[in-house]
Amino acid sequence: MKTVESAKSVLEPVAWLLQMVTGIVMVFLVTIHFYVTHMISHDSLRYQEVITRLNFPEYKAMYAILLLVVSFHAFNGLRAIVLDTTAGLRSRKTINTLTTLMFLAAFFYGLYLLVSI
Amino acid sequence: MAEFRVRRYDGFRSYWQSFEVPAKRGMTVLEGLYYIKENLDSSLAFRASCRMGICGSCAVKINGKPRLACETQILFLGDKITVEPLENYRVIKDLVTDFEGFFAKHKAVKPYLIRKDENYEEPKELLQTPEQLNEYYVFTLCIKCGACYSVCPAASTLDSYLGPAAMAAAYRFCADSRDEGQRDRYEVVSSSQGVWRCHLAMECSEVCPKNIEPAKAVQMLRRSTAFSILRGILGW
Amino acid sequence: MGISGWFKLGGRSVFSWAFTFQRLTGIVLLIYLLAHLTYLTSLLDKTGATYESMISLTVSRQFLIFDLLLVLCGVFHGINGLRIIIHEFGFAHEYRKPIIAVAAILIVAVWLYASYVMCSLTGG
Repeated sequence: MKTVESAKSVLEPVAWLLQMVTGIVMVFLVTIHFYVTHMISHDSLRYQEVITRLNFPEYKAMYAILLLVVSFHAFNGLRAIVLDTTAGLRSRKTINTLTTLMFLAAFFYGLYLLVSI
Repeated sequence: MAEFRVRRYDGFRSYWQSFEVPAKRGMTVLEGLYYIKENLDSSLAFRASCRMGICGSCAVKINGKPRLACETQILFLGDKITVEPLENYRVIKDLVTDFEGFFAKHKAVKPYLIRKDENYEEPKELLQTPEQLNEYYVFTLCIKCGACYSVCPAASTLDSYLGPAAMAAAYRFCADSRDEGQRDRYEVVSSSQGVWRCHLAMECSEVCPKNIEPAKAVQMLRRSTAFSILRGILGW
Repeated sequence: MGISGWFKLGGRSVFSWAFTFQRLTGIVLLIYLLAHLTYLTSLLDKTGATYESMISLTVSRQFLIFDLLLVLCGVFHGINGLRIIIHEFGFAHEYRKPIIAVAAILIVAVWLYASYVMCSLTGG
């Protein structure tokens, strides 16, 4: 049987571990994010409140980390789903590149929004 | 009397056919199939050999779930029995499916002891403690019936996926204290069709007639494979 | 069998249903992430007018049902994900039934609590 990737590839084990780590981090960060925006008062969603909140470096850092882990988790998850199919695995390299680019695009776009506010 | 609804396939078309089987207490689905073949329709094709849950030939889908026909009693399921070939395999005829790929994947993981000091001229006794035996014993019970592969959602979308049985076999040998072939096997199972494609649907462990928990073996194998690769990269 | 193997109805255990829903909610959340980032582009308008007009549209009673469904997706994906991580290292496979039962109870409890708070905040 033909194997299409050698054991030396570090992508899969690292992606597997990071998917779990980012998942655990997200459980906490998404809960905080959700709690602040939807569970205390919807006033926290007003423009002025958002701007004030983001002026705290702690919040800014938290959102940057959340953005990083969410984008990674989302597009690595998409990669896993596509590679689970025969057609997807056939174009493995393209899928890996595309999902990595999508992850970086989402992350840097979010970061751009975060720093320009 | 029990009604057997059997999924037939003659190479061109697939259809259901019903048979009346006189079911007695203790009679198995396999005996029912033999009754049909001997008395009602000799063209019915199915695989069976040992009739005692050891050879793994007679796994078929009975009432929607893969089971060994020789270990499933008719009256335990009621008087309506549906028998279908296993999924995720190509059907050759009626209940007979193509296992060539399944066994090729099994072979690919090198399911035998690999030793550096192999010397058949002067064979050496390899000692093992009961604790070392317990590390892998349960996974030696696999009878390669293929039930796990037939329900695996990863195998349903990826033909080349190694599957639970082959990876459980790989883990069985990797966890054996006498074995020195981990590196060879990691090479195979860490490919894109290997351990990374398992997402813990755990259906394999649910249907395994020997209760060997293939899902657990895949996780253990993935853990050791991942750490072995990372250690290799970090030079530890 | 193809992709239909992920959605087949009969003869499946609760574990592979959890797998199917983990996939589906994952895709929903991925789409939501993209929508969320697009939405937040409105923050670039420094007067806050664009953002405020969008917020008044989405934080409303008509939109609440979508919010609640989204929260269900998130809560399910998160708690079921934690359950999978426990097993991912080969742990507690023997206790998978009680663990999935606890996870299911947690999902429903967290979702109902979040829904209750969100409903009362939106004036529902």
